[in-house]
Amino acid sequence: MQARHGQSSYRDRTDEFFGIVESRRRSIAPAAENNVPYGGGGRRREDPRSAAANQSEFSKRASLIGLAIHQTSQKLSKLAQLAKRSSVFDDPTREIQELTVVIKQEISGLNGALLDLQAVRNSHNDESNISRDTTTHSATVVDDLKNRLMDTTKEFKDVLTLRTENMKIQEDRMKFFSKISSKESANPFVRQRPLASKPSPSQPAPLPWANGSSSSSSQIVPSRQGEAESSPLLQQSQQQQQHMVPLQDTYMQSRAEALHNVESTIHELGNIFTQLATMVSQQGEIAIRIDQNMEDTLANVEGAQTQLARYLNSISSNRWLMIKIFFVLIAFLMVFLFFVA
Amino acid sequence: MNAAMKITALLVLKAAPETTDPVILANASDVSHFGYFQRSSVKEFVVFVGRTVASRTPPSQRQSVQHEEYKVHAYNRNGLCAVGFMDDHYPVRSAFSLLNQVIDEYQKSFGETWRSAKEDSAQPWPYLADALTKFQDPAEADKLLKIQRELDETKIIIHKTIDSVLARGEKLDSLVEKSSDLSMASQMFYKQAKKTNSCCTIL
Repeated sequence: MQARHGQSSYRDRTDEFFGIVESRRRSIAPAAENNVPYGGGGRRREDPRSAAANQSEFSKRASLIGLAIHQTSQKLSKLAQLAKRSSVFDDPTREIQELTVVIKQEISGLNGALLDLQAVRNSHNDESNISRDTTTHSATVVDDLKNRLMDTTKEFKDVLTLRTENMKIQEDRMKFFSKISSKESANPFVRQRPLASKPSPSQPAPLPWANGSSSSSSQIVPSRQGEAESSPLLQQSQQQQQHMVPLQDTYMQSRAEALHNVESTIHELGNIFTQLATMVSQQGEIAIRIDQNMEDTLANVEGAQTQLARYLNSISSNRWLMIKIFFVLIAFLMVFLFFVA
Repeated sequence: MNAAMKITALLVLKAAPETTDPVILANASDVSHFGYFQRSSVKEFVVFVGRTVASRTPPSQRQSVQHEEYKVHAYNRNGLCAVGFMDDHYPVRSAFSLLNQVIDEYQKSFGETWRSAKEDSAQPWPYLADALTKFQDPAEADKLLKIQRELDETKIIIHKTIDSVLARGEKLDSLVEKSSDLSMASQMFYKQAKKTNSCCTIL
């Protein structure tokens, strides 16, 4: 009965404690009954018994909690299996929801019990004559149970997310199927389900008058009959589908959807405009830079032109100097010639 | 999706309680695409089906029935029922907003006189005929559809704009590079010119 499931990091000494308790009880039978309510105070006379009784109380509750956690995880695995089943027609929605509720309640109950257990342990620690082993033991027990509960809760969350994803996939499939069949002839059925409270009687109703009609052209009547015969089959399959589809396309919903689309489109357009403005402003900076570069180039070229003009002037004026020097040289030569000749 | 959406007929009926037959108050049909000899039968067919659907539509309800290649949409508002014969491509929402408009218009122009009508009225209602031709394009009837369409066009235009802005950006980038190269070159030119100008004493 006290068996723990799964690996634990502590030693299971509950049997020893039970043995001690029994021996104590046999010796002081009437007084031990006062200690069954937990957290039996600091009565020194009954300390050893109260310690043992509290410890067994603690271990009892801890084992109960462990058992409950195990059961919850079993139920959770069943729920996970149910959620994984993604067949189109066999949707165990109600069972899944019931299981979900039950598991949630159990988990919250376990949470509360675990907190109580921790409080019990804390109150135990107040008593002086509890050995170190006991405290570590109880601490380990509580931690282990907490870890297991946390794992179970995490699994629960995963299963729930899986379930919602599957439901979304199923919805899309439903919409896909109902869209395909609506292209043939099923809009009346899809539309009539939420609007008319009794779709089925309203659909066979056209049959009798279609069969019994004797109006205008005979071409209309046989075609009506043909359509009426095929409609019950379609209708049944679509009603089945509609049982599955939680959301259906009513006029209002399609309008709401269209509005949403329009709103999101406008939002996107706003974004695009903002980006456009950013790009254009960046390009404006680039244009300004280009302008500056061109101005620099212009200034440089003008300066260079001035320099070259000056250079040209100096070169041409150099020729002037050259002529003068030549004259001087010729004059010297003349003088030399005169002296020689 | 835009392939040949058309309205074949629009009817306004007074939908009496289930037992009696609905009374036709206005009728407009476009039978031009049928052969000449089929036209009258098509008109009768329209009348008949319209009456049937209107009688089966409970008040304040919308209904769509598929019949052969037409979808028949009916909207019953407190006894005044509008029925439209459209083909499969016509979006359902636009059809119902069109029926809404028709009923509003009818109530505006005829008030409550229709409640006393006991037999089919033979006089045509010009608004209905106009509506038939105008609303062949579902965007006219359904403002939402129109808005969505315009928004899509705008989006396309904006995408093109962004593409051209990106091209402009590229061109500007190349221009910037070239202009900076030009500026460098002109600077070198200036320095060179200054250098040749400074040492002029040699020759």
